Amino acid sequence: MATTGQEEFTLDTAAELAAEEGGTRIQGKSPWVIAGRRLRRNYVALTFLGVFVLVVICCLLAPVYASHVSGLGENDTNSGGIITVNGQRVHVISQGGTKIVNGQPQIVFGGIPIGPQWGAAGGQYILGADELGRDVTTRLLFGGRNSLFIGVTSAAICTILSVILALLAGYFGGIVDWIISRFFDLIWAFPVVLLGIALGTALSLNGFHHGPINISGGSLWIPIGVISFVFVPYIGRPLRGQVLALRNREFVEAATAQGAGPIRIMFTELLPNLASSVLVLFTLIIANAILTEVALSFLGAGVQLPNPSWGTMIEEGSAKLSTAPAISLFPGIAIAITVLAINVFGDGLRDALDPRAKIRIEHG
Amino acid sequence: MRTKQVRSVAIAAAVAAGLVLVASACGGGGGGGGNTGTTSGTTPTGQRTFPVLKAVWGTTDYMDPGLSYRLESWQLFQDVYVGLVIKAHVSCQTSNCAKIIPGLATTTGTVTNGGTDYKFTLRKGLKYSNGEAVKASDFKNTIIRDFNLNSPGIGFFSNIVGVASCEANPTKCKDISGIITDDSKGTVEIKLQKPESDFEYVLSIPFTAVVPSSTPHKDTENPPPAASGPYYIASYNPSKSFVVKRNPNWKKHEIPGMPDGNPDEIKATMTDDQAQAAQLVASGQDDYDENILPTDQLAHYKSKFGPQIKFFTTPSTYYFFMNWRLAPFNNLKARQAVNYAVDRQQLVNLRGGLGVPTWNFLPPSYPQYKKITPTPYPYNLQKAKQLVKQSGTAGQTVTVYTISDVSVDLSTGEYLQGQLKKIGYNAKLKAIAGANYFTIVGNQSTKAQIGFTDWFEDYPYPSDWFNVLLNGDRITKVHNNNYGNVDVKAMNTQMAHLASLPPDQALAGATNAKWAVMDRDFMTKYAATVPYLNGILTSFFSTKMNVNCDIFDDSQDDVAQFCQK
Repeated sequence: MATTGQEEFTLDTAAELAAEEGGTRIQGKSPWVIAGRRLRRNYVALTFLGVFVLVVICCLLAPVYASHVSGLGENDTNSGGIITVNGQRVHVISQGGTKIVNGQPQIVFGGIPIGPQWGAAGGQYILGADELGRDVTTRLLFGGRNSLFIGVTSAAICTILSVILALLAGYFGGIVDWIISRFFDLIWAFPVVLLGIALGTALSLNGFHHGPINISGGSLWIPIGVISFVFVPYIGRPLRGQVLALRNREFVEAATAQGAGPIRIMFTELLPNLASSVLVLFTLIIANAILTEVALSFLGAGVQLPNPSWGTMIEEGSAKLSTAPAISLFPGIAIAITVLAINVFGDGLRDALDPRAKIRIEHG
Repeated sequence: MRTKQVRSVAIAAAVAAGLVLVASACGGGGGGGGNTGTTSGTTPTGQRTFPVLKAVWGTTDYMDPGLSYRLESWQLFQDVYVGLVIKAHVSCQTSNCAKIIPGLATTTGTVTNGGTDYKFTLRKGLKYSNGEAVKASDFKNTIIRDFNLNSPGIGFFSNIVGVASCEANPTKCKDISGIITDDSKGTVEIKLQKPESDFEYVLSIPFTAVVPSSTPHKDTENPPPAASGPYYIASYNPSKSFVVKRNPNWKKHEIPGMPDGNPDEIKATMTDDQAQAAQLVASGQDDYDENILPTDQLAHYKSKFGPQIKFFTTPSTYYFFMNWRLAPFNNLKARQAVNYAVDRQQLVNLRGGLGVPTWNFLPPSYPQYKKITPTPYPYNLQKAKQLVKQSGTAGQTVTVYTISDVSVDLSTGEYLQGQLKKIGYNAKLKAIAGANYFTIVGNQSTKAQIGFTDWFEDYPYPSDWFNVLLNGDRITKVHNNNYGNVDVKAMNTQMAHLASLPPDQALAGATNAKWAVMDRDFMTKYAATVPYLNGILTSFFSTKMNVNCDIFDDSQDDVAQFCQK
């Protein structure tokens, strides 16, 4: 029956009307579905997501590449090796030394690693060798695993910590909020890289040994821990602001009236409302974490040699920039592509989840 | 002394003659080195002063003559801190640079009582850069200060009468009865427990260079202790810069044979970045690069700045120490395995070709050197793996120590770590900044298992190698030079015997042969260390400088004698 005039038009009446008119039933769309639809239409973001996934897959296949293509592991040196390039036998590292000519020593300069061979050496040294005859491609892939593992893991730990602190600060307020906010301020006061270097250098010397936690100085968990720690306020502060705004909303009051405790309210009422922001911040912080790892490793406070990471590779190659630029160049390109991909996808995700949001990771 | 980027030179042809001269003239022993530089310079006869020498320098451990054991400091000290005797400031290519000449003392000393008593008289009217008069008692105080500082040089004094209590408790050392001084007469008398063939040389190194008694008995670096030479160190900012100025109290030709100096002032920035250092000189911002040239750009620099670069073979040995007190290197087979696993030629390549592979501990320029034949440890990874298995040490964790801020040293450490992994150890790498490296690995509490090191002679005699580096009786808790804690009783005894020979026997053919046997036994019978190359170093000058003024006296360029075109 159709209704007219004075009667209130509700969703129920709309559904009834639709049923009477034989039309399809109107179904509500969750914000996630709407976001997914928006994201699918953002081809640029999807393309860069594809690039990132490709980088991850390549890095995950590093052991396969090492065993089936290059024949050298990530840290396998081959400084005395000889390879065949276009049918000619070539030293991986040019041989130097001193010869006595007419009674006088003549120095033969050597030690220059072979450059990128692309396909000329049967798959070996595609991107060249470093000063110890290690395969740059193999180290690039294994280094990518380390850099991505550190970036993603530290971003995840950092996000979890930040969410917990933001919920506690925003929900309880008062002294709890004051303490957590000052903690955020304290870390915020230091430039990220400077704080990272200080912590990374101290911990990489002797590791972290407190109570049941025993981490050696060369462990990847040292840079992970450092990066997780230094980025906490960069996620925690914006989330705390959102929690402060949410805690006075009706649904929180309703949950309180129903007898829900603080833990339940924080994690079942507030957290779902933060989810889209958390997801976007997590994505964006991955790129920052990777860049920080690279910076720390370049400065010797991150991944410890001889283990590769994109940062340590750039640092090692910097000494041979004029004669073997490939050692530094390719990790640099890999970092640029990966970070660009994550950032573009992160922006797309933010636009999809909440086009009005102004979520940014800003730090000194 | 140790360095990561030394420029040093040995004394080649003049070795035997020089040592005989030293031995006969002053009762000291001596040995020699060899110089095989590809270019040579001539010494200008007149002084050619100029206002400022701008240099770029490697970082060092200390700028205190009682503590530093790095050539970066010693190169400066030769024109700043003067001992009772000094090594001649002459080119090793053209003269006998092993010759000991009088320094603060009027002569090279009177040796009596069968070679156990040395007596010196100070020159009159000497003053330090701070205006204090040089006194005989300053010498005694300098040696006591060395003990109080726990100096890496105190092992050189173990033969002096009355040092036992100081050796037992160095920081509490108050007196050494074997050093008798008289300030009014300006005399210094040193009594030894037994003759010592190299004692004159010991008196010429910076650890015995006299500093004022007013110098604090602690690391004194800003500014460093007052000087008795033609220059003093006006300021020192560790790892960053230093300024050296003329000593206002130095009188021209005060010490014959010691240069009055050409630059009025030396301003140096300090860096271990070889590429940056070379670039500073190439661009003309600095005039002298104390660092070695970047090994991957040698050909480039040689082609572009050929006449401004000098290459010198040095009386040096680069080697890996292995700690005999710690597993797995308390096992002979494990030590032999490492020797087989190291491909010396590849380590020469890492230095861009600036080195000569070696299996001996002594450098080839010494008359006591005898090449070990057949090559004791030809590169053989299979054999190395077998030995590790036989030793029962496979799978053990081994930490390789190396210097972090010098790319060649870092790569060398990485190379060793890689080779140890290949032969079955769980090898890890620990890289430490160069300025602290030797202090840290020389501290027993570090428990350094294996690592990079090098040695450039303090003076040209084998005791400076074996006694300092491989004598178990000279192992110390801190500032230990015997990083591997090598301790073979029979060898210690033999060292003591050879080092105490009277001067006329110190350089005899039979004595040289015994040193050569010791060299061979340490390397083959005990696999004490892993020597891998004798270093070649570079000196790089800007186009403003006259490279013909460059004088290598013993182990380094003498900056005091630099001159401009």
